Amino acid sequence: MSTTSIRQMRMEDLQAMQACNLQNLPENYTMRYYLYHALTWPGLSYVAEDHKGRIVGYILAKMDEETAEGAPPHGHVTSISVLRSYRRLGIAKKLMLQSRTSMASIYRASYVSLHVRKSNRAALSLYRDTLGFSVEDIEKKYCKFSLFCCRLHAMLTRILDADGEDAYAMKLSLQS
Amino acid sequence: MSVVPAKRALPSKESTLFKELLTLYETRQLKKGLKTADQILKKFPEHGETMCMKGLVLTHMGRRDEGIELVRKGVRNDLTSHICWHVFGLIHKGEKNYEEALKCYTQALRFDQENLNILRDAAHLQTQLRIYEGLVETRHTLLRIRPNFRQHWVALAVAYHLNGNLAEAKKVLEQYELTLKNIPDYDVEHSETMLYHVRLLEELGEHTAALSMLDVNAKSRTIVDRTAIMEYRARLLSKTGSDEAEHAWRVLVEHNPECYDYYRGYLANMNLSLEASEENVARALPVLAEFSAQLPRATAPRRLSLSIASGEHFKELVKPYILSGLKKGIPSLFSDIKSLYQDTAKQQAIEDVATEALASFKPALETTSSTEAEPTSYLWTLYFLAHHHSHLDHHPQALAFLDEALQHTPTLPELHMLKGRVLKRAGDLLGAARCLEDARLLDGQDRFLNTKSAKYRLRAGMVEEASALFGLFTKKDAPSPGQDLEDMQSLFYLTEEADAHYRNGNLGLALKRYMAVSKVFDEVEDDQYDFHGYSLRKFNMNIYINLLTWEDRLRSHPAYIKAALTASRIFVSLHDDPSLATGGAASGQLTDAQKKAKKKAKKAAQKVQEEAKKTATSTNNNEDKGLEPPNKDDDPDGSQLLKCPDPLERAAKLLKPLATLAESNIEVWAATYDVSLRRKKYLQAAQALSRAAKIDSEHPELHIRRIDFRQLVSSLPPETAGMSLVSEVATKLVPEAVSVDAYNSQYLQRHAMEPAAILAVAKVQVRLETPREQVEDTVFTVFGPALNLKTALTILEFLGAIKSPRAGEFRTRCGEQFPLSTVFKTPEELTQLRLLVVAGQQLEDKAEDM
Repeated sequence: MSTTSIRQMRMEDLQAMQACNLQNLPENYTMRYYLYHALTWPGLSYVAEDHKGRIVGYILAKMDEETAEGAPPHGHVTSISVLRSYRRLGIAKKLMLQSRTSMASIYRASYVSLHVRKSNRAALSLYRDTLGFSVEDIEKKYCKFSLFCCRLHAMLTRILDADGEDAYAMKLSLQS
Repeated sequence: MSVVPAKRALPSKESTLFKELLTLYETRQLKKGLKTADQILKKFPEHGETMCMKGLVLTHMGRRDEGIELVRKGVRNDLTSHICWHVFGLIHKGEKNYEEALKCYTQALRFDQENLNILRDAAHLQTQLRIYEGLVETRHTLLRIRPNFRQHWVALAVAYHLNGNLAEAKKVLEQYELTLKNIPDYDVEHSETMLYHVRLLEELGEHTAALSMLDVNAKSRTIVDRTAIMEYRARLLSKTGSDEAEHAWRVLVEHNPECYDYYRGYLANMNLSLEASEENVARALPVLAEFSAQLPRATAPRRLSLSIASGEHFKELVKPYILSGLKKGIPSLFSDIKSLYQDTAKQQAIEDVATEALASFKPALETTSSTEAEPTSYLWTLYFLAHHHSHLDHHPQALAFLDEALQHTPTLPELHMLKGRVLKRAGDLLGAARCLEDARLLDGQDRFLNTKSAKYRLRAGMVEEASALFGLFTKKDAPSPGQDLEDMQSLFYLTEEADAHYRNGNLGLALKRYMAVSKVFDEVEDDQYDFHGYSLRKFNMNIYINLLTWEDRLRSHPAYIKAALTASRIFVSLHDDPSLATGGAASGQLTDAQKKAKKKAKKAAQKVQEEAKKTATSTNNNEDKGLEPPNKDDDPDGSQLLKCPDPLERAAKLLKPLATLAESNIEVWAATYDVSLRRKKYLQAAQALSRAAKIDSEHPELHIRRIDFRQLVSSLPPETAGMSLVSEVATKLVPEAVSVDAYNSQYLQRHAMEPAAILAVAKVQVRLETPREQVEDTVFTVFGPALNLKTALTILEFLGAIKSPRAGEFRTRCGEQFPLSTVFKTPEELTQLRLLVVAGQQLEDKAEDM
C-alpha cells in the first residue's frame, strides 16, 4: 500500500501544479491561467500531496462559461494528471471525486465535461473505464483557445493550444 | 474645475472631434482615432490633451517610441489636465512601472477628484504597491461617490482587512449586509461574502460569533460551499473547546478519508499529534485503528499509524502495508515509507519484511502450481529492495537487485529509471543518462519519461542532447524547445539548464537562464494586477486575500532562491575578474559543444527576429498591440549580460527579497556578505555575517568569511563611515586576541573529520599565503567515509584553481573511493563515455530511417 493526501488546492500549490503539468502533459499553461481558475472557482481544484509535501497530482477544474441561458450549469476539467511514479494508487479517481462533489455542491453542476486528444489512449481509458466518462462528440481540431470567452479574455493571451489534432469531448453525469 | 484654461479650450468643431477621439480609443478603433487626432492637431498643434491621446493611440499601434514621446510633450503642454496625467499613467502602467503610474494618477485626481475610472485604477495600483493606507482612502472615496455599487462595500472591507484593521472591515461588512434586499437563492457571490464575514470573525478571535454566523447561514443555505462549511465548523468548534468538535472532524474524515489535515485536526482536537510520542502511541494509534476499520478503503490512517507506532506493534502494522503495496505493484511504495528510515529499528523491520517477501514470491523452479503469488510481486519486491539499498548508499547491492529484475522484465521503464537513479547517486552521471534513455525508449509517448531523460542528460552536462529530447514535446513553431519551456514558465527546465551551463563553464548562458527564472517570478508578480479588480467584481474575497499573501512570499520558492544565489555568485566573479565576460582568457578555448550551442543560439535569435519582422509587416496597422513593450531577445548567448556595467547592483537586487523570505538560509547571508563587501557597504556585510552566525556559527562558508572580514577591517582607513560599529562586529566574529592562523587551525581541529570544513580551512590558507604544498596536505586529509561526491568535486575544482600538480592524484583517489563514478574522469575519457549515451538514440534513428 502507499498513500498521498488529497486536499483542496491552495495558492501555494499553483506553481507545483504547473510543474507537474509540464512534466506530464503536452498541453501547458502559463501561471495566469492557473490564477484565473483559482480566483474564479476556488473550490473546484484539488491536489495530491506526498509525505514530503510535494505535489504529485492535481485536477484543475472550472465551470463551463459558454453554457446557454436556461441550460443547466456544468463543470469542466481543464487538466488532470498524476506523476508516473505515483500511478496505480487511484489518485486521479480520488481527485475527480472531490472536484465533482464540489462542482455539484457549490455550483449545482449537472455534469462534468472534458476533452481528450484522440491519440491519448492512456488518458481515454482512464476517463472512460476508471472515471466513468462517456464519449459525447468528436471535436475537430481541438483548441484550448475557444474555451474561454470571458472578461479576462485579454489577459489570458498566450496559452499553448494543441496542434490541430481531433479530440473526444467526454461527459460524466452528476445526477445520481 | 470650473474654468477651462484658454490653451485647453477648443472651438465646438474640434471639441466634438476630441470627444469622438475618446470614444474611438475606448473602442480601440485606432486608425480612425489617429486620423481624428491629426485633424485637431492640424489647427491646434500644441493641444496637450490631443497630443497625449494621439501618443496613446500610437503606442497601442506599436509605434512606441514616437507615441511615448508625444505623450510626454502633451503632458508638458497641459500640466493641469486630468486626461494628460491619466494617459501618462496608462503608459507607465503598461511598462509595469507602478510607482510612476500611481504618481500620475494622483496628479490626475488633483484635477478631477471624482473620476471613477481614475480612482479605480489608482486603487489597483495602491494594492499592487501594497500602499494599504492610501487604498483605504481611495476605496472610501469610491464608496462615497457610488454607494449603490455592491462591490464598493466589500472592496472597502478588504482594504481595511489588508491594512490590518479587521474591526473596521467587519463594521463595513455589517453595514453592507443591512443594505441587501431580495438575495436570490443559491447565490454564489453572496455565499462567498458570508464566508468572508465568518473568516473575519475568526481572525478577530470572535470564535463563538463566527460559529453562530456560520451555522445560521449554512442552515438557510446561504453559504453553499459544503466543504468550506465543514472545515470552518470543525476548526471553530475546536477553538471554542466544544464537545461537538470531535464529531465535526469525524464528518470531515468521512467526507474525504485521504486528507491528512483532517486526521491532524481530529487528533489536535484531542491534544494529540502524528509524532511518535508515548502519549500518541497510547491514544492516537487506537483512533487511527478505528478509522482504518471503519474506512476499509482509506489508506491514510494506515500510513499515519506507521509514523506513530514502534517496536512489535510497528512490525505488525508495516507488514500488511508493505505486502499489499508489493502485490499491487505500487512504484511509489518506497518513497512513501522512506521517511520512517530515520528510525533505524523501523528501517531494519522494513528490510526484513521485504527480504522475507522476496523469498516467498520467488518463482518456484519446478512447479508453478504451488505458489499463488503473481510473478509481478517478485519483480516489485526486487524493485523495492533496490530502492532500499540505494537509499543506504549500498550501490552494488541495489544494482544487483535491479539486474535481476531487468532480466525478469526488461520492458518496465521504472526499472531503468531506478537503475539510472542508483548510478547517479553513485556518481556515474553518464551511465545514469543512458539508463533513463533506455526507459524513455520503452514509451516514447510519455512526457514524464521524456522530461526525466532530458534532465539526466543535463545533469551529465549534455545540454544540446537534452534540448533534442525536450523538443519532442514542445511546440513545433517555437524558436527552440528551450524558448517554449521558458514561455511556459518551466522553472525546472530553466534551473536545470542553467546549472548545466554553469558546470560546463558557460557563464553567459548560465546567467541568462538564471535571470529567466527571476523573470518568471516578475511575471507572476505582475499577473496579480488584473485580479485586483476582477476578484472583487466576482466577490471572491477569500481566495483574493490568499493571493496577495502568497504573492508577498512568492520569492521564497526554492527555484528563485537557487537562481538568485548562483546568479549573484556569477555577478560577483564577473566583478572580480571582468575578463570572464570576454569569452574568458581564464576558461580558455570554447569547447566544440559550446561553439555549436553558440551558433545554434544565434540562428534561433535570427529566426525570432525574422518572425517578428514578418508579423510586424503583415499585420494590419490598426491592430491593437497593447501598452506592454514587446519581448525581444537581442542577447541569445548571454554575452551582453556578462558585460553589464553593474554586476554588483544586479546581484544585490536579486538577493534583496531573500533577506526576509529566506532568512534562515545561511547561503543567503554568505552571498549577501560577498556582494555588500564589494559594494563597500561594510555595515551590511557585518550584519550578514552576524545573521549567518546565528544560523550555524561553525558553518564552513562562514568560517572563510569571518577571516576575510577580519583582514578587511584591519585594512580599512579609520575614517571609514560607521567604522566603530564595523570593527565592533568584526571583533565579535573573530576575537582579536587570536591570530588568524591560529583561528584557522583551531577551526580545523574542531572539524578535522568534515570534508567541507577542511576545504574551508584550505581556502583560508590560500588567502593567508600558506605554501601550496601545505595547502595540498590539508586537502588530502579529506578521504574517509564522510567525503561525499559533491564535496569531492568541489575540492577537485579548488585544486584546479590553485594549479595544484596533485590534482591528478586527487582524481585517482576519488575514483578509488567512488568506484562506480565517472565524474572524476578526465575530459578525454568523458567524451568517449558521452558517445555511448546517445548511441541508443542513434540506433533508434537508424531504425526509423529503415
